[in-house]
Amino acid sequence: MSTVTAITPDAINAARPPLLQRASANRWRRPRQGVAVAAAGLAVVLPAITGRYVVTLAATAIILALLAMSTQLLAVAALPSFGQTAFLAVGAYTAAHLADAGLTDGLLQLSGATLAAALAGAAVAPVVLRTRGTTFLMVTIMIQGLAAAVALHWTSVTGGDEGVDTPPVTLWPGHPLTEAAYQYWYALAVLAACGAGIGWLMRSRLVLVLRGHAGHEPRMAALGHHPTIGLGLGYTAAAAIAGAGGALLIVVNQHAGPADLGFGTAAAGFAAAALGTCLTGTPTMTGALTAAIAIIALRDATGSNGTGPLYLGLLCLTVPYLRPTVLRLHRHWARRSEPTA
Amino acid sequence: MNTLLHLDEICCRYGAVTALHPLTLHIAAGERRAIIGPNGAGKSTVLNAIAGTAPLATGRVVFDQQPIAGLTPASRANRGIGRTFQHPGVVDTLTVADNVALAVHLPATPPSGGRRRARDTRRAQVTTALNNVGLEAHATKPTEQLSYGQRRLLEIAMVLAAEPRLLLLDEPSAGLDPHEIRNLAQLIRALPDDIAVIVVDHHLPLVFALADTITVLAAGRHIATGTPHNIRTNPQVNDVYLIPTPQQRPTSHAVDLDVLASPSWPSNPELRTSSEPAPQPPVVLQVERLRAGYHGAPVLHDIDLTVTSGAIHTILGRNGAGKSTLINTIAATHPALPGTQIRLDGIDLPPGNPTRTARHGVALVPQGRHLFASLTIREHLALAARHARRHGRPPGDVRWTTDDALDLLPALRDKLGRYPAQLSGGEQQMAALARALLTSPRLLLLDEPTEGLATAVVDQLTHAITRIADQSVAILLAEQNQHLALAVADQVSVLDHGRIAFTTTARTLHEPATRTRLNDLLGVTTTGSPS
Repeated sequence: MSTVTAITPDAINAARPPLLQRASANRWRRPRQGVAVAAAGLAVVLPAITGRYVVTLAATAIILALLAMSTQLLAVAALPSFGQTAFLAVGAYTAAHLADAGLTDGLLQLSGATLAAALAGAAVAPVVLRTRGTTFLMVTIMIQGLAAAVALHWTSVTGGDEGVDTPPVTLWPGHPLTEAAYQYWYALAVLAACGAGIGWLMRSRLVLVLRGHAGHEPRMAALGHHPTIGLGLGYTAAAAIAGAGGALLIVVNQHAGPADLGFGTAAAGFAAAALGTCLTGTPTMTGALTAAIAIIALRDATGSNGTGPLYLGLLCLTVPYLRPTVLRLHRHWARRSEPTA
Repeated sequence: MNTLLHLDEICCRYGAVTALHPLTLHIAAGERRAIIGPNGAGKSTVLNAIAGTAPLATGRVVFDQQPIAGLTPASRANRGIGRTFQHPGVVDTLTVADNVALAVHLPATPPSGGRRRARDTRRAQVTTALNNVGLEAHATKPTEQLSYGQRRLLEIAMVLAAEPRLLLLDEPSAGLDPHEIRNLAQLIRALPDDIAVIVVDHHLPLVFALADTITVLAAGRHIATGTPHNIRTNPQVNDVYLIPTPQQRPTSHAVDLDVLASPSWPSNPELRTSSEPAPQPPVVLQVERLRAGYHGAPVLHDIDLTVTSGAIHTILGRNGAGKSTLINTIAATHPALPGTQIRLDGIDLPPGNPTRTARHGVALVPQGRHLFASLTIREHLALAARHARRHGRPPGDVRWTTDDALDLLPALRDKLGRYPAQLSGGEQQMAALARALLTSPRLLLLDEPTEGLATAVVDQLTHAITRIADQSVAILLAEQNQHLALAVADQVSVLDHGRIAFTTTARTLHEPATRTRLNDLLGVTTTGSPS
């Protein structure tokens, strides 16, 4: 998984004296690598060491992680989006209709869902990108609300309140994925592939342009970067990532309905992105992934007696207050690593 | 020569205010044009109208035979119009090299060799651009770690990396030290002959050294256009801009860059004779072992200094020496490292708490002014006055009122209902100063208050600063404008590489040894030319 921060660690290290730089890098690289390898290993063997319920929750966490990463990609461009669930819905209903049409191949559904969400994102982008900051957030909340209303009332396409049931997804050469463990592993593989893609994207010029727009939009325009084009490409890419999450929703639930795509899901995805930013100090994909897992654990595992939404609400209230604390901790660590002379 | 840019009777208005009355200009390919005039003349508005960030009320802009008035700023940039902003337009959250990389547009058809070749080409162009402005050693630094002057150089590197055909430079010398200004002049002179340059600047030696033609504006109207010689001798131009009044002369840098290297820096007795501090005035600010840095990189090392009541202590130093960091650390808007002691009137100031520091009587006029865009000047002053009422100083301290501030800075009196964007740079600076005064400070911190200001405004500020000190306010002043700094200073400290290289008093500034050392540390040569 790629970790992209507004200021790359390499850049910060380059400003330090070489000895300190090496010591600082060595100090954190090995523990980070160790944690990443252990987490990946645990994710792979999870079905072997836990029951079906936890595995299903883990698969749900993967879907939320993709939604959070979609939101985080826009956060890199300083665009706080609450409406990525709309593209999750586009992906989910696209995959559901493909399955209804007999196209149950998982990769085909994934491609179709991703493409449909990207097209929807490209269509919406020119409208929403006329706004920035809080206004952008409000507009995306409206988009999420509109998407939920469409899902509820456009019954001929969405099945209305009941949603759309789908047959199990198959993988070539045609075996249906009915076991929770196999569904989970498929979702994990898709997450890994998306993670690799996002990692490449985060090092690409597109994300550099997004970060430039976030930092100084008049300067970017004065350099010839059209805001609508650069940010529109980012918005489209973010929609595609959410659409991939929608395809996985069909794999795990074999159902697409308004209940999975409503305000609660949008709030969880937004909170995961925001909490991820709080955890790492800047918008990072690893932070979003970690926060998505934490939210599912809190909402669905710890709060399985119905108190999950309460815990999620408390977490959402806590997030804005966490950020200054995390930034203070980052400054504290930075001071600790300074030379004493 | 072919006309590259034609401004045809362009007029710009901000609400009911006409910032630029109908103006017609022809800029030839390769021409070096300067636009000068007092603050509020409409110089930046002309650049904004060309770059597309200021809407035209009337008129046409024709670039390369094509009307461009309907194009977005990005489209104009892609046609070859590059610009810098009045305050450096760089992306703080990216590295220096990434900022320049954003400016490098590769051709639509990639060179043979594919993506790797394209990447190498871009990297080479970034390196060249940074080399041109002397920032190659900072390539991997986060931009927020650069000093103000370095950020300005970075912006110039970005604009040049985009290979413009018309380069618009808005106050390029503001915030640069003399050495950097000379390098900037060399850089602009070395540009290819087919690149036209329009430069707006108050540094007249730089303007006269660079420009083939100079256009003078005042109050949004065209005054004159001609060669540097014609402009120097134009009586109307002299009236509105060039010739300072006798009161203004001590700090004027309008005549020649020689003044920067002049062996006779005045300590301006006229300004300070009536306000000589008492024999042993009380110490207001005492700084001991101050250390500060950014992301683990120390910038300031063991700074010791004191400022007494009614005294002006000036901090000089090249860009990147740590002047702004020192000011911000004392104001607690930048964290100090452990071991630092900052006392105000003998009381330890709480580290890292700008609110409490302000309540103790420390007021900051930051570089770039930092006015609130959505508040009128009246509201700015009311906010500051309310702060002073709620957190009043001990009896006996001077309490500044709005009338006091407006008496000191009369240019603000009829601008109280305006928003910062509707004010000239000089008026904005006065508003920032008035806002600070209305908190009735014991210590006033001024960070580059004259940056980008016309000579007349610099002189108004000079007199204002000395009058403030006369009211027993201690002043710590960080400045690039050595004339202002040395004219008003009771004490001068020179920062070099994050340490105070030496501290001296106004009386010893005339000594040859002191001047030589100042010249060396500040990069002032005696050649007198920006080349």
